[in-house]
Amino acid sequence: MARPESESNVSGTENTELEAGRLAVAMAEDGPDEAVEKTLGFGFWLCITWLSAIVLVAILAPVLPIADPTDINNGPLKEGPSWSHFFGTDNAGRDVFARAVWGARVSLVVGAFAITFGLVVGGTLGMIAGYMKGVIDQAVSFFFFALLSFPALILAILIVTTFSRTLQVVSLTLGILSVAPVGRLARAQTLVFAEREFVDAARVIGAKNGRIIIRELLPNVLIPMGGLGLLGIGVAMVAEGGLAFLGLSVEGESAGQLSWGKIINESSKGRALSDYPHVALLVIAVMFATILALNFAGDRIRQYTDVRETAF
Amino acid sequence: MSEPQLSVRDLSVRFPTTRGVVRALNGVSFDLEKGQMLGIVGESGSGKSVTAKTLMNLLPRTAEIEGEVTFEGKDVRALAASGQKHFWGVEMTMVFQDPMTSLNPVKKCGEQIAETLRYHMGRSRRDALAEAEDLLGQVGLPDPAKRVDQYPHELSGGLRQRVVIAMALACEPSLLIADEPTTAVDVTVQRHLLNLLDKLREERGMSMILITHDLGVARGRCDDVAVMYAGRIVERSNTENLFSDSRHPYTDALLRSIPRIDQPSHTRLDPIPGRPPELINPPEQCAYAPRCRFAQADCMEAVPESQGVKGMHEFACFHPANTDRGREALASNVAAGETAAGLPVTGYAGGGT
Amino acid sequence: MAGSGHAPLRDDPNIILQVKDLEVEFPVGKGAVVHAVSGISFDVAEGETLGIVGESGCGKSTVAKSIIRLNSIKSGSVEYQGHDLAQLEAEPLRRIRPDLQMIFQDPISSLNPRRKIRDVISEGLAVWGDERGSWSRDRIEELMLAVGIDPKYGDRRAHQFSGGQCQRIGIARALALDPKVIICDEPVSALDVSVQAQVLNLLEDMKKRYGLTLLFISHDLSVVKNVSDRIIVMYLGKACEIGNADELYQNPRHPYTRALLASIPEPAPTVDPSDGDIDGELPSAITPPDGCRFNTRCQHATDICFTDEPQMQRIGDEDHYFACHHPVEVSVGL
Repeated sequence: MARPESESNVSGTENTELEAGRLAVAMAEDGPDEAVEKTLGFGFWLCITWLSAIVLVAILAPVLPIADPTDINNGPLKEGPSWSHFFGTDNAGRDVFARAVWGARVSLVVGAFAITFGLVVGGTLGMIAGYMKGVIDQAVSFFFFALLSFPALILAILIVTTFSRTLQVVSLTLGILSVAPVGRLARAQTLVFAEREFVDAARVIGAKNGRIIIRELLPNVLIPMGGLGLLGIGVAMVAEGGLAFLGLSVEGESAGQLSWGKIINESSKGRALSDYPHVALLVIAVMFATILALNFAGDRIRQYTDVRETAF
Repeated sequence: MSEPQLSVRDLSVRFPTTRGVVRALNGVSFDLEKGQMLGIVGESGSGKSVTAKTLMNLLPRTAEIEGEVTFEGKDVRALAASGQKHFWGVEMTMVFQDPMTSLNPVKKCGEQIAETLRYHMGRSRRDALAEAEDLLGQVGLPDPAKRVDQYPHELSGGLRQRVVIAMALACEPSLLIADEPTTAVDVTVQRHLLNLLDKLREERGMSMILITHDLGVARGRCDDVAVMYAGRIVERSNTENLFSDSRHPYTDALLRSIPRIDQPSHTRLDPIPGRPPELINPPEQCAYAPRCRFAQADCMEAVPESQGVKGMHEFACFHPANTDRGREALASNVAAGETAAGLPVTGYAGGGT
Repeated sequence: MAGSGHAPLRDDPNIILQVKDLEVEFPVGKGAVVHAVSGISFDVAEGETLGIVGESGCGKSTVAKSIIRLNSIKSGSVEYQGHDLAQLEAEPLRRIRPDLQMIFQDPISSLNPRRKIRDVISEGLAVWGDERGSWSRDRIEELMLAVGIDPKYGDRRAHQFSGGQCQRIGIARALALDPKVIICDEPVSALDVSVQAQVLNLLEDMKKRYGLTLLFISHDLSVVKNVSDRIIVMYLGKACEIGNADELYQNPRHPYTRALLASIPEPAPTVDPSDGDIDGELPSAITPPDGCRFNTRCQHATDICFTDEPQMQRIGDEDHYFACHHPVEVSVGL
């Protein structure tokens, strides 16, 4: 319990001293030392608008008044964009716009899941390794090292051919592949922050290791990394596209198994690009715009949440 | 009186930032005689480092500079504008605080000194290295022949700083500016470094500007001392005068707030309340007034001009310490319990005025 | 390496902390170690302020951190209230931690940049809950007011405060758990000169108000003297001189203490400026000299100084101990 104050020791002068100090502090505080007005910027909101639109459209795909993406008799073959078919039709007469909309679902889900998995698993492992050091760090680092050394492509092929090529498996594959890069970054950041005096201070107070990792390190390590997470989604989406090109992405022809990568792949094979380039190009454009928006927004968030480490 | 070697007139420096325009220097004027040792004392934000950087043409391009700087008859700012390369580092040089960041960690020490000689004086590599070795000996480095081939990280902090000094002196400057040269080293090393600077100054007839936050260092080594606060010189005098008979309340308060070795343990200190002011959009008043025991109404309304005998003892204050005017001001504040700025005031903790 | 003896340990019922033969080493690869602290012994009485002063590499910060086991101890004991902190298991050690708090050197980096300072100050109470005083908004406000920070700024983060204010926040955090001992590791070294006095006065006030015992580490001789009742002077992992602050500065006996006092910009009047003419560089802490570690630079060193480590001794009954074969008399050297 609090010790009673020794009244006699706090004399008049010292009281005024504290008063003066307090007042001076209050005075100094009322100046332009206020939190700096930082805005995210017009560009950021533009990106967010685009991303929201894509996500919204992807979620609402089943109920939107668009064509059936698998309907092969929708219209004339290989037609360019028109009012009835915004993105034109492909070599089987299917509406490309509708296919792009449905493709967004898989691409986004794979991308988001992969990065989330990477952050949760890799981030946690990396933080524990960076904080505990010693044997634990060596074990986790070796694990990361092994994972990184294994050719990503081979690993992907292995997993995907061993299990079926479902959405879950493909997402998990990319998730596993992002554990090591994310984990190493988390570990490096943790190593830096674990040396800071505020971590020592938490130990001195008597906080247990778990509490220190969660309350002291986590906000400093993973929250800024979350900003990088948006960039990571873009990378994962491109990776999925790569898998699609190797025929390793989600199997099946139904609407729920379309991805941008698959669409781009099948409409750039052989003479497709010279015959009906609009399909591949339009879907590439949409994918490009989305990834660009993710990159830009992610970077903006990272800048915005960057805490200045020194006073003014 | 002959022309001073260095003359600074109404120097002002502003930095545009996202939060507003920072007025780092606000009309700084001072002279330096040849062979003189001037100390510039101040805390963070006082502008002492910015002054040094302005003289050395080291400010970022975004800095807005006004005022005149004349060195041995030359217009230094015009030289800067014209892209002159062989002035700084040759006639006017600088030694920085942290030797680890002033030295290139991947180059040998001898090489770094030689670089200066080759670039500014056109020496050959062989001659330059030989001179570098000689210079290392002059700055008191034991075994210079070995040190020439060593990298900075192989030397202790004190030795590294000597290498930096050697580099600065290579082209025989007339003025050496030392910005907190001993802040990063231990006290025993500091003494040796300051002795070295004294010795080199005498041998070469060099002038020096020693920038420091340590009043003891300024008192022990400088002929004249200028005290800076919030981008202005608030007091300047010869050393003895400044410390025994200071006029500006900031100088006075600073001297009272420092623990002294000759005081008994547990002596109550007289701190200066608050902290240095923001340099963005400062109000038209004495910058120190909000923290000043002597503050009166006029201090809150205008910036005091510099007064006193030029070259002897100058200060910028409406109610200077150790004067009748000042004593009256303090007495009236104590009686009222607070200053014109609303700062509560009692007598000094140590008694007396 | 042997220590310099237990002479300075006092036989006093008020002793709250006793350090005996403390040795701390840090590995630096290839089997080599830095002998950071080599056999130091001292004690602290309740309500006392013990200052530890020395230059870089002397081990003062290591001593401070080792007492509360922020780094591991090679050998020696740290007695606190019947427990040897050097030997305690992890959980019992953790339970004692609230009694022994710390204030750090870099005020801004000692606060988590992403947490509100109100949370930083109350972290201790959040960890220990009702065991160490009730977690209430009032207590936090009381602490903030005591250190001179207006509670209405509790929602701000560290980078919005100045260095001096951050150090006050650090002091409030240390006080939150109602400790008995606070270890101050260079608490004012990173602050502006005019702010240092604010924090020093504050520490003094808090010490009186809350009945604290302080361990104050600094390289600044004047600051240490101002704050301390007793002082230890350290060099290269060893204690050179221990004693009452005023007495030590008045009659320094160890050549290194004298060198320090003679080297400060305004030298102490109690030493001769020539005492500061010590040559050479600090020897390596990986292979420190045999005998007295100061022998490579001492003006008075003789043969015995290179073979025998000097033990702490004193003259008469003064609270003044020194470890030197040739302690300096007031007027005459060797």
